[in-house]
Amino acid sequence: MHALYDLAVGPLAWLAFAVFILGSIYRLMSMRALALKKDAAFVAYISWPHAIRSLIHWVTPFGALGWRENPGVTIVTFLFHICLFVVPLFLMGHIVLFDTFHGWSWPALPDGVADTLSIVVVLACAYFLWRRLSVPEVRFVTRSHDWLVLALVGATFLTGVLAYHRIGDNLFMTTLHVLCGEAMLVAIPFTRLSHMLFGFFSRGYIASEFGSVRFAKDW
Amino acid sequence: MKRLPFTRLLLPALAVLLLTASGAFAQQDMTHVPTEAFKKLTRPPAAFAHDTHNEKAGLAECTACHHGEKDGKRDPSSDTAGIPCSDCHAVAAKPGKTSLERAFHRQCMGCHLTQKKGPVTCGDCHKPAAK
Repeated sequence: MHALYDLAVGPLAWLAFAVFILGSIYRLMSMRALALKKDAAFVAYISWPHAIRSLIHWVTPFGALGWRENPGVTIVTFLFHICLFVVPLFLMGHIVLFDTFHGWSWPALPDGVADTLSIVVVLACAYFLWRRLSVPEVRFVTRSHDWLVLALVGATFLTGVLAYHRIGDNLFMTTLHVLCGEAMLVAIPFTRLSHMLFGFFSRGYIASEFGSVRFAKDW
Repeated sequence: MKRLPFTRLLLPALAVLLLTASGAFAQQDMTHVPTEAFKKLTRPPAAFAHDTHNEKAGLAECTACHHGEKDGKRDPSSDTAGIPCSDCHAVAAKPGKTSLERAFHRQCMGCHLTQKKGPVTCGDCHKPAAK
């Protein structure tokens, strides 16, 4: 287990970051090439003002009609995504690893705050799981990739919370947490987690069509 | 000879003071990594029983941990046992210097990773005090 932990925080961490960054660049470039090849006429009509105006509405809670239709989903979605980014980037345990091995350091969230926000992510995952199982229209569009990414995110945050509270063998739980996190990073370019890369472009694309062609709002 | 009573009182007083002081710094009493230099602790102090650890790890050389510094680099040849780590490793270190927190983490976790023995995760060192 000691050797596995060593591998997980060392070579595997570099591998995960490399696959995530290079894979993301590759996916973005190949998607751009595909769009130019199949839909060049439309790409020419992409409008930044319409895209940005639409994005501002969609990144504001209840700023779009779609967000107002399902208030519960909206609140959980926003909380989930904010915590999903803020906690890993500003968690003391993560910063300490970068500081110890490379001397890179930046301000951290207080442990108690990070703990609460991590539990919010775990609860949000449980809510999404319940939705995928019980809401017919959501169940209908659920594919195996959706279960995979939900499991990856849920497992990463759950093992993180358990390791922080020193529940279970700490070396085992921490190693599992690191491996899950790395699997999640690797999965971003190649699974439905790629909405992190493409979501803004999809929205910009739709907003351009609505704004320049249909003269309508898309929010 | 009027000053004699003073001397007679002063000497035992000094002796007592020295004994208590040396007792306070005795390594066999150490249960945790010293944290006095930190203004505020974010985690429980890392468990570290100096003598038990060294016996278990087979450490005879003080310089394995109590190293010196030469040209901004770790100098394992100079023995700094008895000097608090925080005397050189400031809590808020200047660029190019190793902060106290980083020094502790590198010292413990670094050695445990190379030796493939000893705790390496946050929770295995930073444990709440046993009740």
